[in-house]
Amino acid sequence: MSENTATAAVAPTSGPPDGGRARRAVTGILGSAAGRNTGLVVALVLLCLVGVITAGDRFADVDNLLTILRLASVIGVVSVGMTFVITGGGIDLSVGAIVALSSVWATTLATQSVANDAHWSALVFTALAVGAGCGVINGGLIAYGRIVAFIATLAMLAAARGLAEILSNRKTQIVNVPGFTAFFDASVLGVPVLVIIFVVVAIVGWVVLNRTTFGRRTFAVGGNPEAARLAGIDVRRHTVLLYTLLGVCCGIAAVMLIARTTTGSSTHGVLYELDAIAAVVIGGTLLSGGRGTIAGTVFGVLIFTTLSNVFTLNNLSISAQAVAKGAIIVVAVLLQQRLARRGDT
Amino acid sequence: MTSSGTPLLSVRGVVKRFPGVTALGGVDFDVRAGEVHCLLGQNGAGKSTLIKVLAGAHRPDEGELRWQGEVVSFDNPTDAMRTGVAAIYQELDLVAGLSVADNVFLGHEPATAGFTRRAEVRRRTRALLERLGHPDIPADRDAGRLSAANQQIVSMARALSRDGRLLIMDEPSAVLDQDEVRTLFRVIRELTAQGVAVVYISHRMEEIREIGDRVTVLKDGRTVATGLPAREVRTADLIKLMTGRDLEYAFPGREPLDPTAPVVLTVRGLAASGRFSGVDLTVRAGEVVGLAGLVGSGRSEILEAVYGARKPSAGTVEVDGKRLRRGSVGAAVRAGVGLCPEERKSQGLLLDQAVYRNITVSTLPAFARFGFLDSGAERVRARELTTALDVRPPGVDRAVRTLSGGNQQKVVLARWLLRECRVLLLDEPTRGVDVGARSEIYELIRDLAERGVAVVVVSSDVEEVLGLSDRVLVVREGRVVHEGPAQEIDESRVLDLVMGGTAA
Amino acid sequence: MSRTRTARAGALVAILVTGVALTACTGNTPDTATQTGGQAGVKVANDEPGEKVVIGFSAPAADHGWMAAISAAARAEAEKYSDVELKVVEGTNDVNLQISQVETFINDKVDAIVLLPFDGAAMTPVALKAMKAGITVINVDREFDSPFAARSTVLGDNYGMGVSAGTYVCEKLKGKSDAVVAEIAGIDSLPLTQDRSKGFADALGECGLNVDNRVAAEFTVESGEKAAANLLQAAPRIDAIWNHDDDQGIGVGAAIKNSGRSEFFLVGGAGSANVMREIKADNGLHKATVVYPSTQGADGIRLARLAVQGKSLGDLVEVEVPRQVELFAPVVTKDNVDDYLPTAFES
Repeated sequence: MSENTATAAVAPTSGPPDGGRARRAVTGILGSAAGRNTGLVVALVLLCLVGVITAGDRFADVDNLLTILRLASVIGVVSVGMTFVITGGGIDLSVGAIVALSSVWATTLATQSVANDAHWSALVFTALAVGAGCGVINGGLIAYGRIVAFIATLAMLAAARGLAEILSNRKTQIVNVPGFTAFFDASVLGVPVLVIIFVVVAIVGWVVLNRTTFGRRTFAVGGNPEAARLAGIDVRRHTVLLYTLLGVCCGIAAVMLIARTTTGSSTHGVLYELDAIAAVVIGGTLLSGGRGTIAGTVFGVLIFTTLSNVFTLNNLSISAQAVAKGAIIVVAVLLQQRLARRGDT
Repeated sequence: MTSSGTPLLSVRGVVKRFPGVTALGGVDFDVRAGEVHCLLGQNGAGKSTLIKVLAGAHRPDEGELRWQGEVVSFDNPTDAMRTGVAAIYQELDLVAGLSVADNVFLGHEPATAGFTRRAEVRRRTRALLERLGHPDIPADRDAGRLSAANQQIVSMARALSRDGRLLIMDEPSAVLDQDEVRTLFRVIRELTAQGVAVVYISHRMEEIREIGDRVTVLKDGRTVATGLPAREVRTADLIKLMTGRDLEYAFPGREPLDPTAPVVLTVRGLAASGRFSGVDLTVRAGEVVGLAGLVGSGRSEILEAVYGARKPSAGTVEVDGKRLRRGSVGAAVRAGVGLCPEERKSQGLLLDQAVYRNITVSTLPAFARFGFLDSGAERVRARELTTALDVRPPGVDRAVRTLSGGNQQKVVLARWLLRECRVLLLDEPTRGVDVGARSEIYELIRDLAERGVAVVVVSSDVEEVLGLSDRVLVVREGRVVHEGPAQEIDESRVLDLVMGGTAA
Repeated sequence: MSRTRTARAGALVAILVTGVALTACTGNTPDTATQTGGQAGVKVANDEPGEKVVIGFSAPAADHGWMAAISAAARAEAEKYSDVELKVVEGTNDVNLQISQVETFINDKVDAIVLLPFDGAAMTPVALKAMKAGITVINVDREFDSPFAARSTVLGDNYGMGVSAGTYVCEKLKGKSDAVVAEIAGIDSLPLTQDRSKGFADALGECGLNVDNRVAAEFTVESGEKAAANLLQAAPRIDAIWNHDDDQGIGVGAAIKNSGRSEFFLVGGAGSANVMREIKADNGLHKATVVYPSTQGADGIRLARLAVQGKSLGDLVEVEVPRQVELFAPVVTKDNVDDYLPTAFES
């Protein structure tokens, strides 16, 4: 998981010819986590080059970069949470629906009147609490109800969006909480608050996954749940915590979407589950669990949103974009497998 | 029963090596048509590997197989079946959800233009079941709903459906009760009367005497005796053949146990329904207690229950006089209990993760401040331990997967060393560990005991149990049938007890 | 939504105007436009190339024939003007992505944005941002919730659709006071469906009829088939059916064909080319359809161009382009189908 892995893997083969050593060193670095990110950086740089070549200054412009980042922020926060769940050996198909439900619940007339009477943060707390609640239910069903994650979250996908439709009566709910809108519309030193939130979530996510007991246990639970259990980790409790964490991320994303659209709606967040899973997987997190990288996920999100931006700048259709996205996923995963195999030998 | 002339199958000088281990080091024997040929050997003697070689699941590295005098080589189980060799494994491999008939013809369904001729499948299945003396098994029943005994019959029908001439049965009686065993023997006798040969693997002397014609004994991957008459040979001789020492493991010497050492682990009346019952066990600080028994005797389950990984139906576990919450691994670990599980790879290790992470996984809070880990400190401690245990190759950032079995086991041990646990439960500590590393692990276990840890060792290797332990418990069919100091019992007596025989 | 109602009064003028805009775009050349009664002189002046106008266009995913036609018509309209450069970003139902598309237009400093939002309210903030950046925003079909978010708004008339359909049914069934009228609505919880149904019921009420059987589908072919099959089971005799949407009408037609019934006539909705061809051939149950113009986007392009170039709508005395244009929902029958077929959408 660090430079040491690479050197350790290279060291035992004594005295290869110079060219071989260089090649080995290269594959060794590529095989390490840092190397996987190098691959993603290269991909992102290539995409940006395409953007600059095809759209010139329109692409390489501060405003355009901020546009990309704002677009990346909402799905990025969900993807960071998704990285935890997938690293812990799970999957969550309900994130889009949870975003919708949180956005609706946080913008009901009741919530808004509380927000206006007390403080606008009531709206934020409602969204986070609803997200966390959905996460607890997901995690509880999976860990204690022993329902396969795919099925449990599929059920949540249907139920949460349905509940969002009932709560909102399928109408778009408009936010009239001035304090809320003012706060999230602002920029700090030219950087929009939404982007700052994404950056903070990503950094906190990285620290938690790589530097805390919780993160280490996530790797253990995802890598081998039985071994983790026999090592004394409370796997079920940890599973619930993972889904709750993702639920909170969905709540944050809902707040961001409310701020961006000044609305809550049962149609928010459609297909976010697929976008998030795709970003996590091309980032290098193993879908079967046990290996995960927040940095990779962030690159994954940026690659997809930059792609979308380049297509928009060139007036290309969403359909062509979907085809390109599919191709990127396949290439990224194939490449990943290749590198993983080299890493083993 | 035996006929002269060319043997149906002859095995000559078969060698099979796995990385770091030679599983078969030269096996020779013949199987004649119409005989029941028993294979005998301790766990780890190479029986399972041999079965897989015969059934085409492994290719031998050296040696040859001859089928009716012709040299044959099997690339895969289908090849073997086509020739007429079929194995019936202990873990029955029927597909639950498919009917009996579908299971019997799975993979070679009689079909016209892709459509299975269902009537023919059923008719031929019925005929096969009749031939096996079990016309009572409905061909349309879901195979998953049959009893273990009937599933075995269906597996045999499957072998015969491919015109099997040689059936290999791996401890078929392990999952059967007495009546079912009797029925199985009747079926085997009928088959052999029809000229089918059976290679029969079992630990149970009385079964070998009853059904077997000839016996081949394996030890450490080699044939040590072959063609012995099953009914005449003395049990004592067989046991001596199985255990006779070609390879010595150096068991560390031990200090006499301090009789005043405090009792650390107390187990009273522990039971798990259907697995074991009435288990009492006390272990003092510095004591090593061995549990001897066959696979399936309940010995591993006892360890799991003590550790809280399996919820007991009755009984209590106390560590240092404090009762543990039932069925809670967390409680056991907090009280200072550690377990090195039987299936090291699937239960013990995070294979793709670094050595140091595997070592610290049970002790994370000790390296954390407010939840933040000091991975530098983790690596330092892990490095100290791996150096002390001589884990090779060194390097705590290397993935555990890249280590050999013995070094992987050392990593698991290091985890509990780091935790400074009071009670260490070891399930098959040397399985898959090569000879050289075994001595080191024995040394380590002894070391731990001398530091005051209470150790419980489970092993199928009787020699290992006796060599390591101060005290030995023998488990058979979920009950402790013997308890006493290790010096007062010898290997053949233990073997006799675990197999339930009455050899002198 | 109540703002829509108050806005309606202001749209009175606009309806008048739309007649011109609509006929203008039914004709492929200015000549045909002249024939259908526009004031030739003014039109030609408006059509003459002026300063270059860059227009950004964004609409939801083309998961319905009507929606696909919206983009296609907008593109086709822009082609006609040498002074219009159109940037089309196509089809998304993710408001987050649609917002970023509009942001890209803002970054590009386009002159105008024609926006058919996936969700009018959700797209309001970014539309406001565009207006603040000095960009002319033309809102199409789904209304923003702030009057400041768009320079002009082009709307279909859902209530009017219902009225047109009801009025036509009344005429056809004149004198049959016991006639059975059925309705196959679209997604029932949507305000637009409720508006259409209300208009239909109101118009029927004028001639003493009412809706005897009502089912709701979901604007898709399968849902239309299912709803119609249920309806035909429930009502043994029917004189007239109004189906809100010609896309789901394909399913409705299939269900009717399966039932073998033909004692009634069918009035369509939205105005697909399929249905119009059937009306023209007069060989099916469809006798009429009510247009919900799929040329709204194209109208938006025209308005955007005029607004940016500072031109007025030809027939108005007014100097500026109006705030709101509410399109008329005409009934298309065998008699006038040729006028509408060219702009009808393909399912």
